[in-house]
Order: sequence, then structure tokens, then C-alpha cells
Amino acid sequence: MKKIYFDIAATTPVDPKVATLMTDVMTQTFGNPSSIHKFGQESHSVIERARLQLATSLSCEPGEIIFTGGGSESNNLVLQGILQSGDHVITSSYEHPAILNVVKALESKGVESTLVNPNENGVVDCNDVISAIQPNTKLISIMTVNNELGTINPIAKLGEISVENNILFHTDAVQMFGKLPIDLQDVHIDFMSISAHKLYGPKGVGVLYIRQGNKLPAILHGGGQENDLRPGTENIPGIAGFGFAAELATNNMTINIENILELEKRFLSALDNKNIGFTRHCKSHIPGLMNISFHNVKSKPLLMNLDMMGVAISAGSACASGTLMASKVLLQIGVSEKLASESVRISLGKLHSKDDVDYAIQKITELIPRLQNTPEINV
Amino acid sequence: MSKKKVLVAMSGGVDSSVALSLLLDGGYECIGVTMKLWENKDPISNVVRNSNCNTVEAINGAKMVCDRLGVHHYTLDFMDIFKKNVVDDFSNEYLSGRTPNPCVRCNSIVKWETLLQQADIFGIDYIATGHYARIQHEENTSYLLKGTDELKDQSYMLWQINPEALKRTLLPLGEMTKAETRDYAKVNGLETAQTPESMDLCFVSGDDYSKFLYEIMPEKMNSVTSGDIMDETGEVVGEHTGFTNYTIGQRKGIGLAFTEPRYVKKINPMDNSIVIAKKDAMYSKHCYVSQLNWFIEPPYDNMNTFAQIRYNSKGCDATVVKEGDNYKINFNEPQLAVTPGQSIVFYDGNKLVCGGIIEVKN
Repeated sequence: MKKIYFDIAATTPVDPKVATLMTDVMTQTFGNPSSIHKFGQESHSVIERARLQLATSLSCEPGEIIFTGGGSESNNLVLQGILQSGDHVITSSYEHPAILNVVKALESKGVESTLVNPNENGVVDCNDVISAIQPNTKLISIMTVNNELGTINPIAKLGEISVENNILFHTDAVQMFGKLPIDLQDVHIDFMSISAHKLYGPKGVGVLYIRQGNKLPAILHGGGQENDLRPGTENIPGIAGFGFAAELATNNMTINIENILELEKRFLSALDNKNIGFTRHCKSHIPGLMNISFHNVKSKPLLMNLDMMGVAISAGSACASGTLMASKVLLQIGVSEKLASESVRISLGKLHSKDDVDYAIQKITELIPRLQNTPEINV
Repeated sequence: MSKKKVLVAMSGGVDSSVALSLLLDGGYECIGVTMKLWENKDPISNVVRNSNCNTVEAINGAKMVCDRLGVHHYTLDFMDIFKKNVVDDFSNEYLSGRTPNPCVRCNSIVKWETLLQQADIFGIDYIATGHYARIQHEENTSYLLKGTDELKDQSYMLWQINPEALKRTLLPLGEMTKAETRDYAKVNGLETAQTPESMDLCFVSGDDYSKFLYEIMPEKMNSVTSGDIMDETGEVVGEHTGFTNYTIGQRKGIGLAFTEPRYVKKINPMDNSIVIAKKDAMYSKHCYVSQLNWFIEPPYDNMNTFAQIRYNSKGCDATVVKEGDNYKINFNEPQLAVTPGQSIVFYDGNKLVCGGIIEVKN
């Protein structure tokens, strides 16, 4: 059976070139980077080379980059490091749980928070953020790209707002990095979280960008690695893999975006040509991420049936109103419960071909008539 | 021709794991599903405690076996359906002084009826479970037969399944013994080969039903108070601690001393009493039956058959006598502790003829 992975927004396979590098590093460059001997020196250089690669991708200084255990860890380092009892944080209601649950945990320690709702376009409105500012607001944390909708937030403007109000600005850019160009010289961002596994790098390795001059108190303590912020012997192959994956993503960005947009167009026009009723949510999105409601087809039956045919997609759903399963994020931006319960996320990437799209379309066309008006499956 | 598709109910135990593997060997295309039925949440702390049902280990076991065999696996949330149809009925039956078989309702309503609905959504022909029973498919009907392993036979628990649903059911373990199943799992390296046998009700931690009832319906249970223990003549001989703490046939824990042992014979929620009796008074020659589910054309007249009044009991020959709309069962040998609410299942040799719920008229 043909197997097609249309869930690039969830994670990606490691690029074979990256995997080769990582295997070499794992078996050959095993020294402890803190050791004085040649083995240690080699490992140290692998890490610093990766740091340079990431600095080039982000247009920042290598010294502004801290390697972490992933996007969630980067978020925790910032939020838990910055926010103390009595501080106020502004974030959005549709952040990843790696922000929302950290804020929730901090609330029990006396941190105040305001959650700004996205507007009907799936974007955070800057005016809502401005209105939420209080005298004790210490941090604004708004994601660059929403993982479920693919919508892009006005990061540059939010950066300006934070500067004007003397507030720190953090963005969870996990869903953006590697898919859109970013130049940290052009925008004011104090902290940024990114992760390797969304751009054909390994799982379990991330980066926290910390703008020069920003002090971040440590929450993990140990041997002093990564500027005292992320102790523990470094994940050398992971870091090397991230560096290379970032370089590949940056160097091939234009061509990747072009190809992915082409596939996206092919997918959507095929649905039109086959007269399949659907709604694509929100006006603008990152290339390749489509949040679509197929009319009168509940999301889980579609997801599972497609899965059985070898096509993997996702349904970013949470239980909203009792037994009805509907996407919380879509409900927040004013989409009806019915449409929200029919929404699936289909995400394409650089590894896909026209054949993949055509195969998925063929299967979707086969399934939709049978699945129309069948009940939802609770999972 | 494309392969027949089967939705396999995977509890995470050894039986359903082997059932899946046997079906794959037989050339079926399978999908594994684990039904999430119940969470034992501490009502105060909301901490989820271990029950035998759907532990993380069980679900992971099912997932690992499916993965090993190259089969898709999904966990389906049936908690609402289970609560409404099985747990609520279990509680109400206990409050009525009866002793239910929740597994029977779970099988017919949750495992068969609901699972077949899900199979339809998946476009799947059959469902399968790891029960020890057999199905004989004939031209227009399908019959349920006892499993070959007499010790393990589970057909008693399946009497309530809609006969129509049997046509779409496969029971791959019907001709296996439990030992053969374990061997098969071991030889084939299935991760669930060593899972322990499930004994108690899956949704109750341990076997303290009374505690469970208090947890899920504290108000109703608080109105269950102590009352009279009477002998068969109606004379009060002691005090009970609340009728839900007793089941018919119970000897231990009555709390009264007699030279000859006494057994609980009747539970009367109406006047909050229980009646105890000596063993020889515990035998019944007949009972009634409700909710009959027929796998054959119901007889117009009397029917000689073999009756089993509890799971794993020996059973005896009996006659089913039609009395108007009711059926009366005459046992050829008097039966000990015939318990209202329990299932009574009738067999013709190995073939399950019908089943129902035991009723006793005072």
C-alpha cells in the first residue's frame, strides 16, 4: 500500500543528508565538548559550527543561540525564567499547550495572565494586545504561526509594541522556522523558541534565541553548559543535525515554498474540479498548511479511513461541548460548531510530489460520499 | 478479490492479541481498536486510579501487538455509552436487591452493537473479539456455540447479543484452549503473552462493589441503612449493615452465629430486610425468566433444554414452559441459590438456544 504522510506540521522525517551527518557524529565525534583533549575539542567544534549555521539562518549572533531539548523546553526556559509572582504576561488563547500550560502552572505561583483571542482571520490583533497591557506586564508571548490554522501573526508590529512599552517579547516560532524566511535584524524579538524536528531535523533538540543584552535567570542548574541556561552534556549529534537542517531549509527556502504552493494549488483545484464541498479556514497561511472542513464529513471518520488507505492527516480537535468533537481553535475564531467538527489539517512539505497529491485526492474523492453524514468517532 | 476486513476489539490482553494474529494468518485485513470504557477517578482528588479496565499498560499492550503485526490501531472513547448502559444498570440492579451480570450488557450493547456501528463507519465487514465461544454460520442464521475449551467457555456471557450481529462476528479463539492461546502468543513474541487473567469487574477496583456504589452514587447509597435480618418464618434474628452488602447465597459475613450455617435467601429493598435460611431451603425447583433473547425460532410449547444459572456453573436439564407471555423454568434437579438479576442461559448440546434474566416470584 502506498503511504503518504501529509502531516508535516506535526513532525517531519529526518532528511537523509542530515541523518548521515548525525550518524557520523554519533559514532566518531563522541568526546565530551567540555574535555580539554582533542576528542572534546572536536565535539565542541561540531556544536559551535551548528550554532553558526543557526545564526546565519536567523540573521543573529551565534552568542544569542542556546541549544535546548526542544521547543517546549525553550518556552519553559523563557516563561519560567522571566515571570515571577506579581508579574503579568500577555499571551494568546490559541498558543500551543507548551505555552498555555506553563502559564497555567505559573498562575498558581502568583503570576497574572491575559489571554488574547485571535480574530476571525485567525490572527492576533495588535490592538487587543495593547489593551491588555498593565503596569506590571513583564512579557508578551505570541506564537509566530499557529500550528492548527497556519496563520501568521504580526510579529514585527508586536515587537515594536513591546519596545514602546518596555515589555519583553517572546515568540514560539516552532511552526514557522524553516518554512518562512526570518531576519532577526529586521524585527525586535527578545526570545524565540524553535525546534529541529519541524524542518527535517531530529526530535529532541531545539533552540532558544536570546537577544543580546537580555538576562534570563536559569531554571535548570548544573555544569554550566549553554551559557548556564541548559546544563547537561550536549546532545552533539542532535545539535549537529539541527544546524545542518537549518542550513538546508534556509538555502532551499525559495524553491521549497514555490513547489509546496504549487502542490497546494493542485490539491485545492482538484477538490473544486471534483465538486467536493469544502471550506478552507482563514485567509492567509504558511505554505503547505491547509485547515479544511469537508462539508458533512466528521473529521475523525475521515482521518481514520484515510489512514487505513495509507494517507496520514490530522484533526486538531479537543472536546468542546460534551460528545460533539470540534476544534477549539476554530470555535474561538467564530467558525460554527458543525464546520469545526468537520475540520482536518492537511500539511504538505518538500518531500511531496504531484503523484502524492493525486493519490490523496483520489482517496478523498472515494471516501467522501460514503462518509457524508456518518456520526463522529470519539477518540 | 479484495480481502475481508475485520475490526478486532483489542483489550490489551493475550486473548484478543492472539485473535488478531489468527485472523491475519487466515487472510483477513484487520484493524485493531481498544474501547476506552471507564476511568476510575477518585471522586475527591480526581486522581485516576488503576482499575482492570483500559489501564495505560493494557492500551499500550494492544498498540504494541498491532504495531508488531503491521495493523492500524485506534483507541475509541465509549465511556458515555458504557456508563449509561452498563454501570448505571449495574448500580440500579444492586439498589433493587438484585445481582446483575454487567459483562453481559457490555458485550451486547457496547462490544457488539456499538462496535458494529463503528465498523460501518470504517466500511468494515466483520468484528472480532477474543472470546472463547464459536459461531456456526448457516444459510440464514448464525448460532453461538460453546468454546471447545470447557473450562474457558464464555458463551454464557454472550447470550444477549443480537442474533443478526452474529452474522458479522468472528471468534477466532473458539477452538483454542487457554493454554494454546498463551503458547501461541509466546511463540509469536506477542508483547501481551504474559498478561494476567482478568477476574473481577473491569470498572471496580478490587471486588468491593459496595465501596464502588458509594463512590458513584453517594446520595442513593446513604439512604441504604441497616435493617432486619429475618428467618423464613418472618422472625427477626439480627441486623444487617445495608442490603447492598449482601448477595443471594452468601454464607460468610452475615454476622450471626448458628449451629448450622445460614445463607442469604432473599433481599427485600422494599422493607429493607434480608431473609436467611439453612442450606436445604436454598434450593429452587423453578424460576422465571425475562428479556429472553432467542437464537432459534421460539417454541410454541414446552421445550426440554439444558440450563445454566451462573457463569462457570455445572447446569442441569430443565424445561421451559410457556405461561401466557411469560416463561417458567422447571429444573430437573433443584438448583442452589437461584439469583434474581443473574443470567440464565439455555443450551441444546453445545448450541446456545436462548438466554434471559432470572426472575423469582415471591
